[in-house]
Amino acid sequence: MKSAFSAAIAITFGLVVLAGYFIDLSLLVLLRDVFLRYTVILAAIALVVGVVNLLMVHWRKMSTAQGGSSIYSLLLVVSLILTAIIAGLLGPTNTLALWIYQYVQLPVESSVMALLTVVLVVAAARMLRRSANWFNLLFLATALVMLAGAVPLFGLNIPGLHGAGGLREWIAGVPSVAGGRGLLLGIGLGTIAVGLRVILGADRPYGR
Amino acid sequence: MNLESSALMELIGGLVGFFLTVMVFSYILGDNPFFRVSINLFIGASAGYALIVAWYSVIWPQLLSPLIFGGQSERLFVLFPLIFAGLLLLKMSSRLSWFGSPAVAFLVGVGAATAVGGAVIGTIFPQVLAAINALDWNPAGRGPGEAWLQVASGLVLLVGTTSTLAYFHFGARPGLGGVPRRSPWLEIVAQIGKGFIAVTLGATFAGAFLAAFAALVERLEFLREFLTPLIFPG
Repeated sequence: MKSAFSAAIAITFGLVVLAGYFIDLSLLVLLRDVFLRYTVILAAIALVVGVVNLLMVHWRKMSTAQGGSSIYSLLLVVSLILTAIIAGLLGPTNTLALWIYQYVQLPVESSVMALLTVVLVVAAARMLRRSANWFNLLFLATALVMLAGAVPLFGLNIPGLHGAGGLREWIAGVPSVAGGRGLLLGIGLGTIAVGLRVILGADRPYGR
Repeated sequence: MNLESSALMELIGGLVGFFLTVMVFSYILGDNPFFRVSINLFIGASAGYALIVAWYSVIWPQLLSPLIFGGQSERLFVLFPLIFAGLLLLKMSSRLSWFGSPAVAFLVGVGAATAVGGAVIGTIFPQVLAAINALDWNPAGRGPGEAWLQVASGLVLLVGTTSTLAYFHFGARPGLGGVPRRSPWLEIVAQIGKGFIAVTLGATFAGAFLAAFAALVERLEFLREFLTPLIFPG
Protein backbone atom coordinates (compact mmCIF):
# COMPACT_ATOMS: atom_id res chain seq x y z
CA MET A 1 0.00 0.00 0.00
CA LYS A 2 2.79 2.40 1.03
CA SER A 3 4.75 1.40 -2.04
CA ALA A 4 1.70 1.93 -4.29
CA PHE A 5 1.17 5.43 -2.83
CA SER A 6 4.79 6.44 -3.52
CA ALA A 7 4.60 4.92 -7.02
CA ALA A 8 1.36 6.83 -7.70
CA ILE A 9 3.06 10.08 -6.69
CA ALA A 10 6.10 9.42 -8.90
CA ILE A 11 3.95 8.39 -11.89
CA THR A 12 1.44 11.26 -11.58
CA PHE A 13 3.92 14.08 -11.14
CA GLY A 14 6.34 12.51 -13.63
CA LEU A 15 3.67 12.28 -16.33
CA VAL A 16 2.45 15.85 -15.72
CA VAL A 17 6.00 17.28 -15.94
CA LEU A 18 6.78 15.16 -19.02
CA ALA A 19 3.56 16.34 -20.70
CA GLY A 20 4.58 19.92 -19.84
CA TYR A 21 7.72 19.47 -21.95
CA PHE A 22 6.01 18.16 -25.07
CA ILE A 23 2.43 19.49 -25.09
CA ASP A 24 2.11 23.23 -25.69
CA LEU A 25 -0.72 23.81 -23.21
CA SER A 26 -0.33 26.77 -20.86
CA LEU A 27 -1.75 24.88 -17.86
CA LEU A 28 0.69 21.99 -18.34
CA VAL A 29 3.64 24.35 -18.79
CA LEU A 30 2.61 26.24 -15.63
CA LEU A 31 2.28 23.00 -13.64
CA ARG A 32 5.68 21.84 -14.93
CA ASP A 33 7.32 25.08 -13.79
CA VAL A 34 5.62 24.95 -10.37
CA PHE A 35 6.66 21.32 -9.81
CA LEU A 36 10.22 22.13 -10.89
CA ARG A 37 10.30 24.96 -8.30
CA TYR A 38 9.05 22.51 -5.66
CA THR A 39 11.77 20.07 -6.77
CA VAL A 40 14.46 22.70 -6.26
CA ILE A 41 13.20 23.33 -2.70
CA LEU A 42 13.02 19.60 -1.92
CA ALA A 43 16.47 19.02 -3.43
CA ALA A 44 17.84 21.65 -1.01
CA ILE A 45 16.10 19.86 1.87
CA ALA A 46 17.56 16.56 0.60
CA LEU A 47 21.00 18.21 0.75
CA VAL A 48 20.35 19.13 4.40
CA VAL A 49 19.34 15.51 5.10
CA GLY A 50 22.51 14.31 3.39
CA VAL A 51 24.79 16.66 5.35
CA VAL A 52 23.11 15.76 8.67
CA ASN A 53 23.48 12.08 7.78
CA LEU A 54 27.20 12.62 7.03
CA LEU A 55 27.54 14.33 10.40
CA MET A 56 25.74 11.49 12.20
CA VAL A 57 27.80 8.77 10.50
CA HIS A 58 31.07 10.43 11.52
CA TRP A 59 29.74 11.18 15.02
CA ARG A 60 29.02 7.45 15.42
CA LYS A 61 32.47 6.62 14.02
CA MET A 62 34.06 8.96 16.57
CA SER A 63 32.21 7.36 19.47
CA THR A 64 32.84 3.75 18.42
CA ALA A 65 36.07 3.65 16.39
CA GLN A 66 39.52 3.56 17.90
CA GLY A 67 42.82 4.83 16.54
CA GLY A 68 43.34 6.93 13.41
CA SER A 69 39.92 6.75 11.77
CA SER A 70 38.24 8.59 14.66
CA ILE A 71 40.70 11.49 14.25
CA TYR A 72 39.72 11.86 10.58
CA SER A 73 36.04 11.84 11.57
CA LEU A 74 36.72 14.43 14.29
CA LEU A 75 38.45 16.71 11.75
CA LEU A 76 35.55 16.34 9.34
CA VAL A 77 32.94 17.08 12.03
CA VAL A 78 34.87 20.09 13.39
CA SER A 79 35.47 21.61 9.95
CA LEU A 80 31.81 21.03 8.97
CA ILE A 81 30.38 22.62 12.13
CA LEU A 82 32.87 25.52 12.11
CA THR A 83 32.18 26.33 8.46
CA ALA A 84 28.41 26.04 8.98
CA ILE A 85 28.51 28.34 12.02
CA ILE A 86 30.78 30.97 10.43
CA ALA A 87 29.04 31.01 7.03
CA GLY A 88 25.62 30.62 8.65
CA LEU A 89 25.95 33.49 11.11
CA LEU A 90 27.93 35.89 8.93
CA GLY A 91 26.52 34.87 5.52
CA PRO A 92 28.18 32.81 2.77
CA THR A 93 29.69 35.92 1.12
CA ASN A 94 31.25 37.27 4.33
CA THR A 95 35.05 37.76 4.32
CA LEU A 96 35.61 34.96 6.87
CA ALA A 97 33.39 32.49 4.99
CA LEU A 98 35.16 33.36 1.76
CA TRP A 99 38.50 32.94 3.58
CA ILE A 100 37.55 29.31 4.29
CA TYR A 101 36.58 28.88 0.66
CA GLN A 102 39.76 30.50 -0.64
CA TYR A 103 42.30 28.91 1.70
CA VAL A 104 40.78 25.50 2.52
CA GLN A 105 38.45 24.42 -0.27
CA LEU A 106 40.21 25.94 -3.27
CA PRO A 107 43.77 24.66 -2.49
CA VAL A 108 42.53 21.10 -1.89
CA GLU A 109 40.31 21.16 -4.97
CA SER A 110 42.98 22.44 -7.33
CA SER A 111 45.64 20.19 -5.74
CA VAL A 112 43.46 17.11 -6.30
CA MET A 113 42.95 18.31 -9.88
CA ALA A 114 46.74 18.72 -10.23
CA LEU A 115 47.22 15.22 -8.81
CA LEU A 116 45.17 13.98 -11.75
CA THR A 117 48.20 14.68 -14.00
CA VAL A 118 50.21 11.97 -12.26
CA VAL A 119 47.23 9.62 -11.96
CA LEU A 120 46.45 9.90 -15.70
CA VAL A 121 50.06 9.20 -16.71
CA VAL A 122 50.26 6.19 -14.36
CA ALA A 123 46.88 4.89 -15.61
CA ALA A 124 47.97 5.22 -19.27
CA ALA A 125 51.27 3.40 -18.58
CA ARG A 126 49.48 0.66 -16.65
CA MET A 127 46.92 0.24 -19.44
CA LEU A 128 49.67 -0.19 -22.03
CA ARG A 129 51.55 -2.68 -19.84
CA ARG A 130 48.45 -4.82 -19.23
CA SER A 131 47.43 -5.16 -22.86
CA ALA A 132 48.81 -3.37 -25.88
CA ASN A 133 45.86 -4.10 -28.21
CA TRP A 134 44.83 -1.91 -31.16
CA PHE A 135 42.13 -0.10 -29.14
CA ASN A 136 44.60 0.97 -26.44
CA LEU A 137 47.25 1.94 -29.00
CA LEU A 138 44.75 4.03 -31.00
CA PHE A 139 43.56 5.66 -27.77
CA LEU A 140 47.10 6.60 -26.71
CA ALA A 141 48.15 7.69 -30.22
CA THR A 142 45.15 10.03 -30.37
CA ALA A 143 45.93 11.41 -26.90
CA LEU A 144 49.57 12.03 -27.88
CA VAL A 145 48.65 13.76 -31.16
CA MET A 146 46.12 15.95 -29.32
CA LEU A 147 48.68 16.83 -26.65
CA ALA A 148 51.52 17.47 -29.10
CA GLY A 149 49.25 19.60 -31.28
CA ALA A 150 47.90 21.66 -28.38
CA VAL A 151 50.86 24.04 -28.24
CA PRO A 152 53.85 24.76 -30.50
CA LEU A 153 56.63 22.24 -29.72
CA PHE A 154 59.71 24.20 -28.58
CA GLY A 155 58.23 27.25 -30.26
CA LEU A 156 57.80 25.44 -33.58
CA ASN A 157 54.53 24.88 -35.43
CA ILE A 158 54.76 21.53 -37.21
CA PRO A 159 52.97 21.68 -40.58
CA GLY A 160 50.22 19.08 -40.79
CA LEU A 161 49.85 18.90 -37.01
CA HIS A 162 49.33 22.43 -35.70
CA GLY A 163 47.02 25.16 -36.89
CA ALA A 164 43.99 25.23 -39.19
CA GLY A 165 43.73 22.10 -41.32
CA GLY A 166 46.21 20.24 -39.13
CA LEU A 167 45.82 16.68 -37.88
CA ARG A 168 44.87 17.84 -34.39
CA GLU A 169 42.08 20.05 -35.68
CA TRP A 170 40.80 17.28 -37.99
CA ILE A 171 40.73 14.70 -35.15
CA ALA A 172 38.99 17.17 -32.82
CA GLY A 173 36.47 18.15 -35.50
CA VAL A 174 35.63 14.89 -37.29
CA PRO A 175 36.34 11.42 -35.77
CA SER A 176 36.28 12.65 -32.17
CA VAL A 177 32.97 14.43 -32.74
CA ALA A 178 31.57 11.34 -34.51
CA GLY A 179 32.40 9.05 -31.57
CA GLY A 180 31.24 11.67 -29.07
CA ARG A 181 27.95 12.09 -30.93
CA GLY A 182 27.40 8.33 -30.93
CA LEU A 183 28.14 8.18 -27.20
CA LEU A 184 25.84 11.15 -26.51
CA LEU A 185 23.01 9.58 -28.52
CA GLY A 186 23.53 6.32 -26.62
CA ILE A 187 23.44 8.17 -23.29
CA GLY A 188 20.31 10.04 -24.42
CA LEU A 189 18.55 6.82 -25.45
CA GLY A 190 19.60 5.16 -22.18
CA THR A 191 18.31 8.14 -20.17
CA ILE A 192 14.97 7.99 -21.97
CA ALA A 193 14.66 4.24 -21.34
CA VAL A 194 15.50 4.51 -17.63
CA GLY A 195 13.37 7.67 -17.17
CA LEU A 196 10.34 6.06 -18.80
CA ARG A 197 10.74 2.93 -16.67
CA VAL A 198 10.62 5.16 -13.56
CA ILE A 199 7.68 7.23 -14.82
CA LEU A 200 5.73 4.08 -15.74
CA GLY A 201 6.47 2.52 -12.35
CA ALA A 202 8.57 -0.41 -13.63
CA ASP A 203 11.54 0.85 -11.57
CA ARG A 204 10.81 2.25 -8.10
CA PRO A 205 14.03 3.60 -6.61
CA TYR A 206 12.32 5.43 -3.72
CA GLY A 207 12.05 2.85 -0.98
CA ARG A 208 8.84 1.45 0.45
CA MET B 1 38.65 44.15 9.62
CA ASN B 2 41.65 46.55 9.67
CA LEU B 3 44.70 46.34 7.44
CA GLU B 4 46.90 44.52 10.01
CA SER B 5 44.40 41.77 10.81
CA SER B 6 43.66 41.48 7.09
CA ALA B 7 47.37 40.91 6.36
CA LEU B 8 47.53 38.40 9.23
CA MET B 9 44.51 36.53 7.88
CA GLU B 10 46.17 36.43 4.47
CA LEU B 11 49.38 35.07 5.98
CA ILE B 12 47.52 32.39 7.97
CA GLY B 13 45.49 31.58 4.85
CA GLY B 14 48.68 31.24 2.81
CA LEU B 15 50.13 28.88 5.42
CA VAL B 16 46.93 26.79 5.51
CA GLY B 17 46.81 26.68 1.71
CA PHE B 18 50.50 25.75 1.53
CA PHE B 19 50.22 22.88 4.00
CA LEU B 20 47.00 21.58 2.46
CA THR B 21 48.59 21.62 -1.01
CA VAL B 22 51.66 19.72 0.22
CA MET B 23 49.46 17.25 2.10
CA VAL B 24 47.41 16.51 -1.02
CA PHE B 25 50.57 16.17 -3.14
CA SER B 26 51.90 13.62 -0.62
CA TYR B 27 49.45 11.17 -2.24
CA ILE B 28 52.02 10.78 -5.04
CA LEU B 29 53.97 8.62 -2.55
CA GLY B 30 50.83 6.59 -1.79
CA ASP B 31 47.82 6.83 0.50
CA ASN B 32 48.95 8.35 3.82
CA PRO B 33 47.53 10.11 6.93
CA PHE B 34 48.44 13.62 5.67
CA PHE B 35 46.38 13.13 2.52
CA ARG B 36 43.46 11.78 4.55
CA VAL B 37 43.57 14.72 6.95
CA SER B 38 43.40 17.22 4.07
CA ILE B 39 40.58 15.36 2.34
CA ASN B 40 38.50 15.06 5.53
CA LEU B 41 38.97 18.77 6.26
CA PHE B 42 37.93 19.54 2.69
CA ILE B 43 34.82 17.32 2.82
CA GLY B 44 33.74 18.88 6.13
CA ALA B 45 34.24 22.47 4.96
CA SER B 46 32.56 21.80 1.58
CA ALA B 47 29.55 20.08 3.19
CA GLY B 48 29.15 22.91 5.71
CA TYR B 49 29.44 25.57 3.01
CA ALA B 50 26.98 23.73 0.71
CA LEU B 51 24.50 23.50 3.59
CA ILE B 52 24.63 27.25 4.20
CA VAL B 53 24.44 28.11 0.48
CA ALA B 54 21.34 25.89 0.21
CA TRP B 55 19.85 27.69 3.22
CA TYR B 56 20.58 31.22 1.97
CA SER B 57 19.70 30.71 -1.69
CA VAL B 58 16.80 28.21 -1.57
CA ILE B 59 15.37 27.18 1.80
CA TRP B 60 15.04 30.66 3.35
CA PRO B 61 13.97 32.75 0.32
CA GLN B 62 11.79 30.13 -1.37
CA LEU B 63 10.26 28.22 1.54
CA LEU B 64 10.53 29.84 4.97
CA SER B 65 10.41 33.55 4.12
CA PRO B 66 7.15 33.27 2.09
CA LEU B 67 5.72 31.13 4.88
CA ILE B 68 6.53 33.62 7.65
CA PHE B 69 6.28 36.99 5.90
CA GLY B 70 4.22 36.16 2.78
CA GLY B 71 0.54 36.71 2.05
CA GLN B 72 -2.20 34.07 2.00
CA SER B 73 -1.51 32.95 -1.59
CA GLU B 74 2.24 32.67 -1.00
CA ARG B 75 1.66 30.57 2.11
CA LEU B 76 -0.68 28.33 0.15
CA PHE B 77 1.92 27.99 -2.62
CA VAL B 78 4.62 26.72 -0.25
CA LEU B 79 2.27 24.40 1.68
CA PHE B 80 2.96 21.43 -0.62
CA PRO B 81 6.79 21.65 -0.50
CA LEU B 82 6.56 22.35 3.25
CA ILE B 83 4.69 19.08 3.89
CA PHE B 84 7.04 17.12 1.62
CA ALA B 85 10.07 18.81 3.22
CA GLY B 86 8.81 17.67 6.64
CA LEU B 87 8.39 14.12 5.32
CA LEU B 88 11.86 14.23 3.76
CA LEU B 89 13.39 15.30 7.08
CA LEU B 90 11.93 12.12 8.64
CA LYS B 91 14.39 10.20 6.41
CA MET B 92 16.98 11.02 9.09
CA SER B 93 15.26 8.68 11.54
CA SER B 94 15.72 4.97 10.87
CA ARG B 95 12.31 4.21 12.45
CA LEU B 96 10.34 6.87 10.56
CA SER B 97 12.32 6.96 7.33
CA TRP B 98 9.52 5.27 5.33
CA PHE B 99 7.41 8.43 5.80
CA GLY B 100 9.90 10.18 3.54
CA SER B 101 9.33 7.82 0.60
CA PRO B 102 6.50 9.89 -1.02
CA ALA B 103 8.77 12.97 -1.01
CA VAL B 104 11.61 10.95 -2.56
CA ALA B 105 9.09 9.54 -5.08
CA PHE B 106 8.12 13.11 -6.05
CA LEU B 107 11.79 14.02 -6.54
CA VAL B 108 12.45 10.86 -8.56
CA GLY B 109 9.30 11.23 -10.71
CA VAL B 110 9.91 14.89 -11.57
CA GLY B 111 13.65 14.22 -11.98
CA ALA B 112 13.00 11.32 -14.38
CA ALA B 113 10.56 13.40 -16.43
CA THR B 114 13.06 16.28 -16.60
CA ALA B 115 15.80 13.85 -17.62
CA VAL B 116 13.62 12.39 -20.41
CA GLY B 117 12.59 15.87 -21.57
CA GLY B 118 16.20 17.07 -21.45
CA ALA B 119 17.47 13.98 -23.31
CA VAL B 120 14.93 14.36 -26.13
CA ILE B 121 15.04 18.16 -26.49
CA GLY B 122 18.64 18.77 -25.45
CA THR B 123 20.50 15.72 -26.78
CA ILE B 124 18.67 13.50 -29.28
CA PHE B 125 17.15 16.21 -31.53
CA PRO B 126 20.21 18.52 -31.68
CA GLN B 127 22.65 15.65 -32.21
CA VAL B 128 20.55 14.02 -34.94
CA LEU B 129 20.08 17.42 -36.63
CA ALA B 130 23.83 18.07 -36.43
CA ALA B 131 24.50 14.64 -38.01
CA ILE B 132 22.06 15.47 -40.83
CA ASN B 133 23.46 19.00 -41.36
CA ALA B 134 27.00 17.63 -41.62
CA LEU B 135 25.93 15.97 -44.87
CA ASP B 136 24.30 19.10 -46.24
CA TRP B 137 25.38 19.48 -49.88
CA ASN B 138 25.30 23.24 -50.17
CA PRO B 139 28.17 24.46 -52.32
CA ALA B 140 27.05 28.12 -52.15
CA GLY B 141 29.97 30.26 -51.03
CA ARG B 142 32.44 27.35 -51.22
CA GLY B 143 34.73 26.11 -53.90
CA PRO B 144 34.04 22.62 -55.36
CA GLY B 145 36.98 21.15 -53.46
CA GLU B 146 35.70 22.50 -50.16
CA ALA B 147 32.22 21.12 -50.79
CA TRP B 148 33.60 17.64 -51.44
CA LEU B 149 35.74 17.88 -48.31
CA GLN B 150 32.65 18.88 -46.34
CA VAL B 151 30.70 15.90 -47.64
CA ALA B 152 33.62 13.51 -46.98
CA SER B 153 33.84 14.80 -43.38
CA GLY B 154 30.06 14.44 -43.09
CA LEU B 155 30.27 10.83 -44.26
CA VAL B 156 33.02 10.04 -41.72
CA LEU B 157 30.85 11.69 -39.04
CA LEU B 158 27.82 9.63 -40.09
CA VAL B 159 29.77 6.34 -40.20
CA GLY B 160 31.39 7.16 -36.84
CA THR B 161 28.12 8.06 -35.15
CA THR B 162 26.17 5.02 -36.38
CA SER B 163 29.02 2.55 -35.80
CA THR B 164 29.56 3.92 -32.26
CA LEU B 165 25.86 3.39 -31.56
CA ALA B 166 26.13 -0.12 -33.08
CA TYR B 167 28.95 -0.94 -30.65
CA PHE B 168 26.46 -0.58 -27.81
CA HIS B 169 23.98 -2.96 -29.43
CA PHE B 170 24.13 -6.00 -27.18
CA GLY B 171 21.46 -8.14 -28.84
CA ALA B 172 23.00 -11.57 -29.60
CA ARG B 173 21.97 -15.10 -30.57
CA PRO B 174 23.50 -18.31 -29.23
CA GLY B 175 26.41 -19.29 -31.48
CA LEU B 176 28.72 -22.31 -31.46
CA GLY B 177 28.73 -24.06 -28.08
CA GLY B 178 25.89 -21.84 -26.84
CA VAL B 179 28.17 -18.79 -26.58
CA PRO B 180 26.17 -15.65 -27.49
CA ARG B 181 27.53 -13.94 -30.60
CA ARG B 182 26.55 -10.86 -32.55
CA SER B 183 25.82 -11.26 -36.25
CA PRO B 184 29.04 -11.00 -38.33
CA TRP B 185 28.10 -7.73 -40.08
CA LEU B 186 27.16 -6.10 -36.78
CA GLU B 187 30.46 -7.26 -35.32
CA ILE B 188 32.38 -5.53 -38.14
CA VAL B 189 30.39 -2.28 -37.69
CA ALA B 190 30.87 -2.49 -33.91
CA GLN B 191 34.65 -2.84 -34.35
CA ILE B 192 34.68 0.32 -36.51
CA GLY B 193 32.65 2.03 -33.77
CA LYS B 194 35.17 0.84 -31.20
CA GLY B 195 37.87 2.66 -33.16
CA PHE B 196 35.88 5.91 -33.13
CA ILE B 197 35.28 5.49 -29.37
CA ALA B 198 39.05 5.05 -28.87
CA VAL B 199 39.70 8.31 -30.76
CA THR B 200 37.01 10.18 -28.79
CA LEU B 201 38.27 8.90 -25.44
CA GLY B 202 41.86 9.68 -26.45
CA ALA B 203 40.89 13.29 -27.27
CA THR B 204 38.95 13.54 -23.98
CA PHE B 205 41.93 12.11 -22.12
CA ALA B 206 44.21 14.74 -23.66
CA GLY B 207 41.74 17.50 -22.68
CA ALA B 208 41.54 16.23 -19.09
CA PHE B 209 45.34 15.94 -18.94
CA LEU B 210 45.80 19.53 -20.17
CA ALA B 211 43.29 20.83 -17.59
CA ALA B 212 45.01 18.87 -14.80
CA PHE B 213 48.41 20.09 -16.01
CA ALA B 214 47.18 23.71 -15.87
CA ALA B 215 46.05 23.11 -12.26
CA LEU B 216 49.45 21.56 -11.46
CA VAL B 217 51.29 24.60 -12.86
CA GLU B 218 49.00 26.93 -10.84
CA ARG B 219 49.66 24.99 -7.62
CA LEU B 220 53.43 24.86 -8.18
CA GLU B 221 53.39 28.60 -8.87
CA PHE B 222 51.48 29.13 -5.61
CA LEU B 223 54.09 27.08 -3.68
CA ARG B 224 56.93 29.02 -5.33
CA GLU B 225 55.33 32.39 -4.56
CA PHE B 226 54.77 31.35 -0.94
CA LEU B 227 58.26 29.93 -0.38
CA THR B 228 60.38 32.50 -2.24
CA PRO B 229 60.01 35.35 0.35
CA LEU B 230 60.66 32.87 3.19
CA ILE B 231 63.83 31.42 1.64
CA PHE B 232 65.14 34.65 0.09
CA PRO B 233 63.88 37.48 2.33
CA GLY B 234 64.34 40.96 0.88
